[in-house]
Amino acid sequence: MGAMSTEARIPRPERTPLTKFFWDGVDEGRLLVLRCADCGFYVHWPRPECGQCPSEDLAPAEVSGRGVVYSYGVAMQAFIPAFAGKIPYILGVVELVEQPGLKLVTNIVDCDEEAVEVGMPVEVVFHEADEGLVLPYFRPAADVTKGAVDAPA
Amino acid sequence: MPPRDGGRRVAVAGVGYSPVARRSGRTLEWLTLAACRAALDDAGLAPEDVDGMSSYVTTNQLLSLVKTAAVLGSPGLRWHLATVEGPTFLGGAIPAIAAVASGSAEVCIAVRSVLEAGGSYTKRPPPPVVSGDDQFTTPFGAHASPHWISLYMRRHMADFGTTEEHFAAQAIAQREFATLNEDAFFRDPLTLEDYLSARYISKPCRLLDCDYPVDASAAVIFTTEERARSLRQKPVLVESWAMGSTPTPDSYIMADMNEAGLWNASRALWERTDLRPSDVDVAGLYDGFIFSVFQWLEGLGFCGKGESGPFVAEGNTRLGGSLPVNCDGGAVNVGRTHGANHVIEVVRQLRGQSGARQRAGAKVGVSSNSMGPTGGCLLLTAE
Repeated sequence: MGAMSTEARIPRPERTPLTKFFWDGVDEGRLLVLRCADCGFYVHWPRPECGQCPSEDLAPAEVSGRGVVYSYGVAMQAFIPAFAGKIPYILGVVELVEQPGLKLVTNIVDCDEEAVEVGMPVEVVFHEADEGLVLPYFRPAADVTKGAVDAPA
Repeated sequence: MPPRDGGRRVAVAGVGYSPVARRSGRTLEWLTLAACRAALDDAGLAPEDVDGMSSYVTTNQLLSLVKTAAVLGSPGLRWHLATVEGPTFLGGAIPAIAAVASGSAEVCIAVRSVLEAGGSYTKRPPPPVVSGDDQFTTPFGAHASPHWISLYMRRHMADFGTTEEHFAAQAIAQREFATLNEDAFFRDPLTLEDYLSARYISKPCRLLDCDYPVDASAAVIFTTEERARSLRQKPVLVESWAMGSTPTPDSYIMADMNEAGLWNASRALWERTDLRPSDVDVAGLYDGFIFSVFQWLEGLGFCGKGESGPFVAEGNTRLGGSLPVNCDGGAVNVGRTHGANHVIEVVRQLRGQSGARQRAGAKVGVSSNSMGPTGGCLLLTAE
C-alpha cells in the first residue's frame, strides 16, 4: 500500500509543549499522565495547573494502563474518510485504576461489541492506528482481578 | 412577585422565526433579519424600539449584532452581546433578560441563527492535525456530537436500566405533537418499530435521536412587564432563570455524565422562585438529542434521578400527559434552532396559541437548553 492521502489519514495530535510527553510515551509503549508533585493528584487531559491544589509543579508519571470501562458507544457512521475502514468501532471512556475519575477516551479493541459492558476491566494496548500513528487502545483485561479501581493513595 | 435579584420584572413581548428550510440559499444575515422582523410584528413593536440585542454564535458562523440592528432600523443599540460560550440559545437570551432587568436595555432581541446547509453534522470535519483537548478524542474517532451523546446514553442505561424503548417513547411523543404542528418537517406518526429500525449513528444513538439540521433563525423579544402590557400580545412573565456549569467541564471525561451543568442550572432556577416542579404545566426541554430530555426531566426535578425512562414510558410527556414536553414536536421535528424553539413554543402555550397541541389552561412553563458541561433554563408564567 502506498502513502495514504491526507484525507484518509486519521487526524494527528498536535504535540505541544503541554502534550508532547503523552504522545512520546505512547510511541515508546508507555502510558503517561501528568501528576502533581505536591499533592499526588493525576491530571488528564493535560493542564498547566493541578486543579486539586494551587501547584503548577506537574510531571509525567507512568500509569498501570489498567482500568474499567466508564461508558462506551459503537460508531456506525464514518463522518470523515479516515474512519470509513474502521466502522463499526467501539468508542470507550476508560477510568484508570490510579484515581477515581481519572478518565481517557479510547477505542475498545480485541472485543466483540456485544461483550463490552460498563464496568468491564480493561488494559492498555498500543496499536498502530494507521501509518506512523500509534494510539493507546484498551482491550479486555487478561487478569480480571486487576480491574477493580484502587482506593486513592 | 418581584425578581429575587432586584431589578425590573421582565416579560416576553414577541417571538418569531425566519422561514425554516433544509437548504435555503439564504445568508445568516437575511435569516436573522427575517426572524427579528417576525418577532417585532408578533409583539407590535417597531425596529426603532429596539435598543438591545444578543446572540449565541459559533466561531464559524459569527454574526454582527451592531450591523444587524442597523439594517433592521434600530436607532442604535445601548446594549449588545454575542457570546461563543453558554447554553445555546439561552446563552444569549439569559443575558438579554438580565439586561432588561438591570435597565441596560428596554427592548432586547435575543436571536439564534444557524446555517446547516450541508444538512448534517459533517460540515465541520476535523483538521489533519488536531490541537488542544481534541487531540485526545479525535484520533480515536470521537469527534462528532453523536459520538459524545452515545457515551452519555450508555452510561444512563447501565446505571439506571434505561432502555432504547424509553428513548423511543419520547421520540414517539414528540412526533405525535409534530403531527399537530403545520410548521414541523416530520408529520407522520412514528411507531416503536420505526424508531427501532432507524439506523444507528453511534450506538445507542440513532438517526431519530438527532435534531434536524436546517437553515433558520429564531428570535425572542424581552422587555419590561410594564412595557409588555401596552403591546399586542398577552404578556408572558419571566419568573426565574439560571445557567449552570460544572467543575469537570471536559465533556467526554466529566466526573459524572448523569449529573453535570444542567443540574446546577436547575438548582439555581428553583432557588429563585417559590414555584415548584409540580406547578409546571408545560415544558420545552432541549433535544439536540432526544436523550437530553431525559437528563433535564431529572435535573429539573420532574422525576427522581435515574427515573426519567419510566417517567417518559408512562406517557407523562405526551399530549395529554401530566407534563407535555416539546409540544411543537421539538428540534428533531421542527428543525434545529439550537434551543430557541423550546422558548418560543412555551411562550405560545402560555399565551394559549398552540392550537390542537395546546395544554389547556397552561400558566407555568419551563424551557431548557444544552447539556453536558453547561445548561440554561428559564421559568415563564402567564396570568
